[in-house]
Amino acid sequence: MIETVRFWAIIVLIVFGLFFTFVSAVGVLRLPDVYARAHTASQTDTLGAGLALAAVALALGWQNATAYTVLLLFFVFITNPTAAHAIARSAAESGIVPWENDTDEEGESR
Amino acid sequence: MYNDGHLEGDAVAAERILVPLSETVTVRQTVGYAVRAGLERADSLECHLVVALPSDREMPEGQTEVDAARSLLSKAENWVSEDVGDSSVTVETAVLGMDEYLFGPRDFASTFASYGEEHDIDHVVLDPEYQPGASAGMLHPLERELESAGLTYDEAPVERPARHERLIGDGTQRFDRLFAMFWISYGFYLVLGDPTYWFDLVTGAAVAGIVSVSLAHITFTFPLGRVQSPLRTLRFAIYVPYLIWEIVKANLAISIVILRPSMPIDPKMTRVNARVRSGLPLLALANSITLTPGTLTVRADDQRLIVHSLIASARDDLFDGSLERAVRFVFHGRESSAIPSPRERGDAEVIGGDEL
Repeated sequence: MIETVRFWAIIVLIVFGLFFTFVSAVGVLRLPDVYARAHTASQTDTLGAGLALAAVALALGWQNATAYTVLLLFFVFITNPTAAHAIARSAAESGIVPWENDTDEEGESR
Repeated sequence: MYNDGHLEGDAVAAERILVPLSETVTVRQTVGYAVRAGLERADSLECHLVVALPSDREMPEGQTEVDAARSLLSKAENWVSEDVGDSSVTVETAVLGMDEYLFGPRDFASTFASYGEEHDIDHVVLDPEYQPGASAGMLHPLERELESAGLTYDEAPVERPARHERLIGDGTQRFDRLFAMFWISYGFYLVLGDPTYWFDLVTGAAVAGIVSVSLAHITFTFPLGRVQSPLRTLRFAIYVPYLIWEIVKANLAISIVILRPSMPIDPKMTRVNARVRSGLPLLALANSITLTPGTLTVRADDQRLIVHSLIASARDDLFDGSLERAVRFVFHGRESSAIPSPRERGDAEVIGGDEL
């Protein structure tokens, strides 16, 4: 009984992790400029990797490696925003003007 | 009284200088230099001693900061009268920043500039160790900002004790740092190793010992509180689930927007002045904002955060300041987390992309 619950919990976590990774990929393709893409790229790291690692921890059960996955997630949560911020900041410093949809129609990113 | 005639002839207006003070080892020498140098340039001197208070009068320690500033000013007034002998020196003192929030060097410079304008001062004497509040490395950015605010400045030549003595601090502080560092690294070692195996316990203790002795005063650049620091860690443990919940909510909102064929995004640059201290609290806030999809910290100049927001609901959350309150809760406790939202205090605005 407990084993079936665990099995399905793992499946659900992986499916949701895949879903958010997929959404993130779609977002990177659809969104207009580097700033907007940086938002959705971080989704892969937060919920995509987060749910997948949660599934791994659950699959491993109570052992040392489970602690590693939690640590791994912790480091992802520190490094991901740092990288996203670095990208956005360097974009701003190279003078990329953010895309806005209501000002002028042709005011798109370059 | 010793050169009245000279003054008449010269018609030089009294020299007016501004001396910002803070509790440093060199503050006494700075005041001495300011008086000496001022009297060399002109015969009479008007010396304005000011203490600029950094952020947050709403925090519990706010009132004690004001009292400390007052007592520093009265000490400095006595120093001036010791130094002047019988020349004509007028001393004015003031506490600045009582009714506004001073965050970075820019705010301090503009406060000094507006004080200077009121009192017709255009020269500032700086203490080389000048450091208002907790933020580090104030002097050079402040000099740059003073220059752009149109004030001339002058760094007092002082002799100071070697800097590393200050960093290490006194005995108990040093012990606290070693102690904290030892247990943090020991714990980390045992998580990676096996806490029930004697070999790991012994090697872990040795490694943690080496790490704490060599790195403790680099890791903690601020004094640790025996009650406050563990409490902060505990509150941080409460904060993490809250942050994850916020991340999940924001992820769902963004996913819906991206998957809709019409993709109703509304990207805007915004500026939010965060009321958290520089260093770790600001890092935690900026990182949390970026971790939440829909908001992305583009710049963090002092406490002015430039945040790119993708959809209107994420922007509203940002302006409501729930993350800011949570970070304040982590670092300062519950009573200081109850502050007005950035929107209510006028610290949040949408800016154009060209204002980056």
